[in-house]
Amino acid sequence: MQRRPVVHKKQSRDIFLFILGGVVLFFLSGMVDELRVYQGATIAIYVIAISSIILLTGYSGQVSLGHGALMAVGAYAAAVTRIEFKLPIILCFVVAVLLAAIGGALLGAAAARLSGPYLAGTTLALAIGLPSLANQFTVLGGEQGLLFDVGFPPLSLGEEFTQYKWFFWIAGLAALISMWIIKNILGSRYGRTWRAIRGNEVAAQLSGINIARSKILAFTISAGIAGLAGALLSMTIGTVSPSAFPLALSFSLLAGAVLSGLTTLGGAMIGAVVLVAIPEIADVVAHRVGSSERVTTNLPGFLVSALLILTVLFVPNGPVEQHRARKAKHLALKK
Amino acid sequence: MDLLNTFLIGITAGTIYALMAISMVLVWRSTRVVNFAQAGMALLSTYFGYEAVSRLGSFWIALPVAMIGGALVAALVEIILIRLLVKHSSSGPIAGVAPIIATLGLLGVIRSISAMIWGGQDLRIVGPISNDGFTINGTTLVFSPLKLLILVTVLVLMLILSIVFQKTNIGLALRASAYAPEIARLSGIKVDWVRTLGWALAGAAGAVAGMFQTVNGNGTLSPDSIEFSLLLVSGFIAAVIGGLDSLIGAVIGGLVLGLMIAFVLMYVSSGLFFIAPFVILLTVLFIRPQGIFGAKAARRA
Repeated sequence: MQRRPVVHKKQSRDIFLFILGGVVLFFLSGMVDELRVYQGATIAIYVIAISSIILLTGYSGQVSLGHGALMAVGAYAAAVTRIEFKLPIILCFVVAVLLAAIGGALLGAAAARLSGPYLAGTTLALAIGLPSLANQFTVLGGEQGLLFDVGFPPLSLGEEFTQYKWFFWIAGLAALISMWIIKNILGSRYGRTWRAIRGNEVAAQLSGINIARSKILAFTISAGIAGLAGALLSMTIGTVSPSAFPLALSFSLLAGAVLSGLTTLGGAMIGAVVLVAIPEIADVVAHRVGSSERVTTNLPGFLVSALLILTVLFVPNGPVEQHRARKAKHLALKK
Repeated sequence: MDLLNTFLIGITAGTIYALMAISMVLVWRSTRVVNFAQAGMALLSTYFGYEAVSRLGSFWIALPVAMIGGALVAALVEIILIRLLVKHSSSGPIAGVAPIIATLGLLGVIRSISAMIWGGQDLRIVGPISNDGFTINGTTLVFSPLKLLILVTVLVLMLILSIVFQKTNIGLALRASAYAPEIARLSGIKVDWVRTLGWALAGAAGAVAGMFQTVNGNGTLSPDSIEFSLLLVSGFIAAVIGGLDSLIGAVIGGLVLGLMIAFVLMYVSSGLFFIAPFVILLTVLFIRPQGIFGAKAARRA
């Protein structure tokens, strides 16, 4: 009981930091050019998607290669509610979260029985299979996909307020809110339960944790967040189609999460920035070297994959964790 | 007639999946890693095969070239990547997922490198004999001389592999290292090199699967082709149906999967091409999670 006020103080500090971060970002968006604003929106979306993977893989220890498919579920849910029922945009995002969470719960019920490579393979099959289902139903628009239009920014924001800046505001706000929620979930009883399961499943079971239920819960929450990211991603693209959610998307998200450090939520930014920056870097490199078009188009994929392997081999717990470990070692040596 | 057609198509596709599953099983038995890059390695070896066909003009010379190429690539991957992985990332929260992530990364690297070298246009490998169906009593079957040849070749290779495993010293070393690495090491087997050998055999088997998958399909070869996405998933699913630890299980798993996909596409809907394997996998995992031939304990690894 006596610890209460301390926790409370820390929480209000965190809230303050979140709000401050948000305000800084929103003012920054006014000062850079359109392309950077668009990239900023993409980074915010990747932050959401990567943190959903960090929650699932880093904390509950389940690997999913199917998050691209869950993002597709969210995106289609949002687009269909927008087109068929003409709901306000925020409700579309809520529907996206809910439907993706339901999908995640179903997948999680299967996943709770599987471990390691079995789970990875099953979700891989889903990631390849699910987007092609869209071609089966006319309401989902087939190969061309559906239009997803969030509308113009409200006039009250001024005449000069561009569409991209509007995207960035929506995505940035969504990222801040979802990071806030995930951070609290991970700090709560559920977060500790997941870490206990990841550490030692048998020991966790012996101390009264319902393993299957906790794992399914982790999958459900993670899927809901991924669904939000999917809806936001299709907002920036303007359409929802199977080709927007290829297997490569699931891979890049996993790569982003590993680069961020699978157990450090705060690192999600690192992975997101890298994922957005790599195509740019590859472009510059390709121009410098003056290579052919084949090399240019495949260089980003190569860089992401190579970075993924190198991280797993040499910085397996992510840069933030690595830095922390080195500092702890340093301090221990000093004493 | 439809029934016979579907059956024969399923069996042919099934033998190719079985080869892919065998290569997954060989890797799993030697290093306890599910190699998600196996289809990528098969793709790379098929490109080697393509180079050999276009230079030397013969499919039958190209096949061993692809196999040797595939074996070398796989052995190199084991020596460079997997040994480092075991050394660096076998503890901490990432230990359980590190091999999965590393092999996925490898898949990405192989895919983008092959796309850089050969990508852009669709390349063609022409099969050694005609893929036009046999004609019986005036009706033309889908089953062709080429499919018959694939069937026979794969069966012969499986026979050779099982003789190697059951009758030779190398086979004994492979089995011993998989069954009890510590004891095998104590009895003088160089377990590390046996593991590399396991990977090399897997690479060769994958190369054959890749070559046949290409000529059995429409003959074109591209890094993003549907054939190789399917090979990636089917090899894994066939191995899981059989129970990851058993070579015979892999063969049966491949055949079962091939037949099931063929019948679903024929009698339910051809639009289920990609989702059918997923449903089959989930069904198997729910009914018999350890696979047909898997030991109960295999799941724990």
